Amino acid sequence: MSTPATTPVSGPAARGVTPVDLHSARSVLGAHASRIQRTGRTLPFSDERHLQASQWLVDEAWLLDAQAYEEWLELLTDDIHYLMPVRVTTALGAGYDTSPGMAHFDEDKYSLSRRVARFLTEHAWTEDPPSRLRHHLSNVRTFATDDPDHLVVDSATLLFRNRGDVREGSFVSAGREDLLRRTDEGWKLARRTIMVDDAVMRMQNLAIFL
Amino acid sequence: MSDQSAVLNDVRRGMIPAHIYNDQELFELEKERVFGRAWVFVAHESEIPNAGDYVVRRVLEDSFIIARDEKGVVRAHFNMCLHRGMQVCRAEMGNASHFRCPYHGWSYRNDGRIVGLPFHQEAYGGEAGFKRKGQRLLPAPNLASYNGLIFISMDPDAQPLEEFLGDFRFYLDYYTRQSPSGIELRGPQRWRIKANWKIGAENFAGDMYHTPQTHTSVVEIGLFREPKAEKRKDGCTYWAGSGGGTTYKLPPGSLDERFRYVGYPQEMVDRMKQMLSEDQLKVVGDDGFMISAASIYPNLSLVHNWPKVADTDQVLPFISIRQWQPISADETEVLSWFAVDAEAPEEFKALSYKAYLMCFGSTGMFEQDDVENWVSLTNTAAGSMARRLLLNSRMGLLEDGTEVVPALGPDQFHGPGVAHTGYAEYNQRELLTRWADHIEQPVKAASTLEVGGAEQVSVSQAGAARPAVPEPADQDRADQARADRLGAQA
Repeated sequence: MSTPATTPVSGPAARGVTPVDLHSARSVLGAHASRIQRTGRTLPFSDERHLQASQWLVDEAWLLDAQAYEEWLELLTDDIHYLMPVRVTTALGAGYDTSPGMAHFDEDKYSLSRRVARFLTEHAWTEDPPSRLRHHLSNVRTFATDDPDHLVVDSATLLFRNRGDVREGSFVSAGREDLLRRTDEGWKLARRTIMVDDAVMRMQNLAIFL
Repeated sequence: MSDQSAVLNDVRRGMIPAHIYNDQELFELEKERVFGRAWVFVAHESEIPNAGDYVVRRVLEDSFIIARDEKGVVRAHFNMCLHRGMQVCRAEMGNASHFRCPYHGWSYRNDGRIVGLPFHQEAYGGEAGFKRKGQRLLPAPNLASYNGLIFISMDPDAQPLEEFLGDFRFYLDYYTRQSPSGIELRGPQRWRIKANWKIGAENFAGDMYHTPQTHTSVVEIGLFREPKAEKRKDGCTYWAGSGGGTTYKLPPGSLDERFRYVGYPQEMVDRMKQMLSEDQLKVVGDDGFMISAASIYPNLSLVHNWPKVADTDQVLPFISIRQWQPISADETEVLSWFAVDAEAPEEFKALSYKAYLMCFGSTGMFEQDDVENWVSLTNTAAGSMARRLLLNSRMGLLEDGTEVVPALGPDQFHGPGVAHTGYAEYNQRELLTRWADHIEQPVKAASTLEVGGAEQVSVSQAGAARPAVPEPADQDRADQARADRLGAQA
């Protein structure tokens, strides 16, 4: 079956807004990151590469729900750039909707490894008792790149986090653009840009990963 | 409203009724009497460097457009259309020469003056019905800045900002005046926490005692050069003017070595030596103290710390400015900015930013554990049992008021105010004593403005619309005279 003509080309942003694939390049700490970009239209859902990418994301979401962060760290390449810009409300046509030069996460492997190491101490009080986490994953779209060992994957994630007994739970809704790299140990995450849908986060801290 | 004098007297002697951290009646009083008169931080001039740049910031529920007008004057106007009260600007930041209300199309220059009033003649009969000339968005009652930090006071008769800050300016300079260009701010990250706003302000003002317990994990993962968080007790806390803070004790060395010890490159040290006063330099070079966290009453805090940002022994200092914006008795919006000297080398700026992200802000590893505690405290303070408990906030004092450790003498600490080494709650008491003094004093009823009405009789209202930082040019004085009339009692 041929791809319907209405399938959108990559165009990952509303008009007047920075395309998601440029955020990593423009961020303060993203100079080391891979610059590989998507090419062409969404791969068919039956494509083997899409199936592999989708499974990778679901398996990863399970690790994040379980707070199995050491295993999660193994899924990241050494040159990972993990970016979550701060979203701001700007006029239509302002040309940007993220806070210039500021992010929630602008991480490399070292800073992520410190965050994981902290959770593994006995004194990371914010997660003792631990939160109950659920990363709801959807809207997965996979794109080829010029390099057969790399895929770009878009997805939506809705994290529900609940702490204690009577406290109300909180949500983070975000779109993500991932760069997956094929390695001897399987697919690994080389770049992630998280476009959160809140300007003001409604979670007491981001002692979580998206 | 019930009589709060018993609560306030307990607070003044350092015995804190636990319910003050989650009390609806006190929150209503705070809105009126603390935030109705204190100088409240809204922005830094570096956030709006060019003509037309603006940010929209709140003081409690009141939204203000903080804009740099076409002449470069910084202005703050209440973000409400003079016609039907619609929010004029609905973005958080941007650049605009005019703001147009989406409801009926009234429009305003970025200096607040009204320029567009559709069908003025047909609908109002022109000036005879509605005096458009000289009308502008309602200016903030009082506006001033120090080292580029812009503050609003809702009290037109507030004491001048510099007087309000008082001797705390001595300490504020370390964070905001490291070179002639001052700091530049990025952010803020914003998030809401189910915690009372006073807890963060108290913590940053002087709580060195929580560091070894709350922040054990960041020491364990090797983020800091010091192997033990207990080192904090070797530092001192100080209170001066409207603020106070904490310091770390530095290892022996010269002034230059001590600045370099926390990660400043020599070129930044050289500029600081030019900018800071002899006494400011002596606090570091002679006394061996480096400023760390601090708070300015009521709800502005500062951080200066120096973690490792890579797997080496090198540390990098960062500065953060943050505000505890009250939402309700049990909820606070945190606004957390990264600040860095504008003349710092680009590589330093990037790594300092990395240090900030790792330690503070929405994802910071220090902050994560702090907020968990504060949310829990606020939640526990809501019930009737909390009204039976007076928390002892007298650390550093014997029962008879004698200090456990005497204050540092002038040859041990060259800064103004009073400083003590070791763990103590002097600063938390200072902060809450100011709070109690304000809670006790009713505020005067605010003046009102009759939009488009008959020419106002000009009443001298010194602060009513004191416009701008820096001083306005002559043309603006004329505008200002009109604005003053607008601000006068109807």
